[in-house]
Amino acid sequence: MRLKDPLLLGGQLLILISAAYIFIMAEQNRRWKVPILFIILISWFLFRNRRNQPVIWIGLTVFLLVDLYLDYFWLANHHFMLLFMVLSVLIYSYHKRDAILLKNVQMLLVIVVMTSVIQKVVSRQFMSGDFYYYMLNRGAVFKHFISFFPESVALAKSNSERIFELHATDPNNAKRIELNNIFPNLGQFSLIFAYVSVVIEFVVAIAILVKPRGFWTHLFLLVMILGILCTRFETGFMALLAICGVFLSNNIYLRLLYVLIFMGCLVLVITKLGFH
Amino acid sequence: MASTTKVFVLKYAVPCLAVIVIAIQVFFMNTRNLSKWKGGGYGMYTELHYASNQIYIPGLSVDSLLKNNREMKDVLGYLILMPNRHNLNKAGALILKTTHKDSLHIQVWKPSINSRNRLYTRVLIDEIHLKKTDF
Repeated sequence: MRLKDPLLLGGQLLILISAAYIFIMAEQNRRWKVPILFIILISWFLFRNRRNQPVIWIGLTVFLLVDLYLDYFWLANHHFMLLFMVLSVLIYSYHKRDAILLKNVQMLLVIVVMTSVIQKVVSRQFMSGDFYYYMLNRGAVFKHFISFFPESVALAKSNSERIFELHATDPNNAKRIELNNIFPNLGQFSLIFAYVSVVIEFVVAIAILVKPRGFWTHLFLLVMILGILCTRFETGFMALLAICGVFLSNNIYLRLLYVLIFMGCLVLVITKLGFH
Repeated sequence: MASTTKVFVLKYAVPCLAVIVIAIQVFFMNTRNLSKWKGGGYGMYTELHYASNQIYIPGLSVDSLLKNNREMKDVLGYLILMPNRHNLNKAGALILKTTHKDSLHIQVWKPSINSRNRLYTRVLIDEIHLKKTDF
C-alpha cells in the first residue's frame, strides 16, 4: 500500500499538484514553456515505469524557473515553496538518501511557517487586528460560514460597495467611511484571532523543528491547515503543506488525513473554487 | 568533497536558498516598498492587499490610460505593487509620453483601517509633479 511508502506517495502527490499548477500557469510565458512541457511529457512516457525520474523533476524545475525569471515579483509565495520542494526531490534522485530529503522538507516547512509568524508579528496592521477586521467586514474571510447569516452577508456587501464608491472619489478630499460590523464585537474578535493565528503557527514551526515526526506535531499541523482552509480557500499552498505532512509523518492514519486534505485541495484548485 | 560536508550541503542547501529568497524579499520590502504579499517572503495576509492601493492623477482617468496599453499596465502594475519614487518617475514619464501633456501630478494612495473607531480611509504614500522638460 502506497500509504506505507511516504517518499513515493509524497513524490507522486507533488507531481499531481505540479501538473495542476502547470496547467493553470501555462498561459503565461508560453513561448518558453512549450518545449519544456514537451520534454517533460516525453520523459514521462519513456520512463513511466521507473521510480526515479530525474528528467521530469529537471523539467518541472526549469518550468518554475522560467516564471521566476520573467515574473519574479508577481508570483505567489507558494510558487517559491513548490520550486524548493521540487528541487529537494530532484536532488534526492541524485543522493537517494531518505534522511536528506526528509531534512530538506522539515527545514523548508520550519522556515516557511516561522517566516510567516515573523511577518505577522512585525506587521502593526496585523497585530492590531485591523487586517482581519477589514477582511471580515468585507466577507473576504470565513466566507462560507458567513453565508449562513444573511444579515451579515448584506452588511459585508454594503461595506464593499461603500468602499468601492469611496475609491471612485478624489482621495485628496480626505473622505472616510465608517464600516458596519457584520457581527457584534468584531474588533475584539479580530484582535484575538490575530493572536491565535500567530500562536498556532509558532507552535507548529517549533514542533516541526524539534519533533518533525511526532504525533502531536502533525496534529497541530493538521489543525493549522484545516484552520487556514476554513478561513480562506488557500488550497494551492495548503496542498503543499499537506505533502510536507505526508513526507514527515510516521503515522499511517495521519498520512491518510493529509492525503484526503490534499485531494480536497487539488479538486478545488482544478475547479478554480480555491486559489492555485 | 568530504562525506560529512557533502551531507551537510545536501541537507541545508535548499533551505538556505529559501532563506536567501526571504532576505531578498525583506530587502525589497524595506528599500523599494514591495508589498508583503509578493516576492517569496511569506507575508501574505499580514496587511491589506496591494490591489487596494490607488493611483490618482488629477484630470486623467487611470482606467482609460490602461485600456489596450500593455506597457502602461506593466508600469502602473509595478507602481501599485512597489509604490516608490523610481516607479513613480517611470510611470510619470510613460504617461507624459502617451498623453502628450506638458506636466503631470501623480499620487499613490493606500487604504487605512482602524478597528477601534471602524474608520476606513486612504493615506498618501507618495506623489510627484513632473514636467515634460524633466526628461
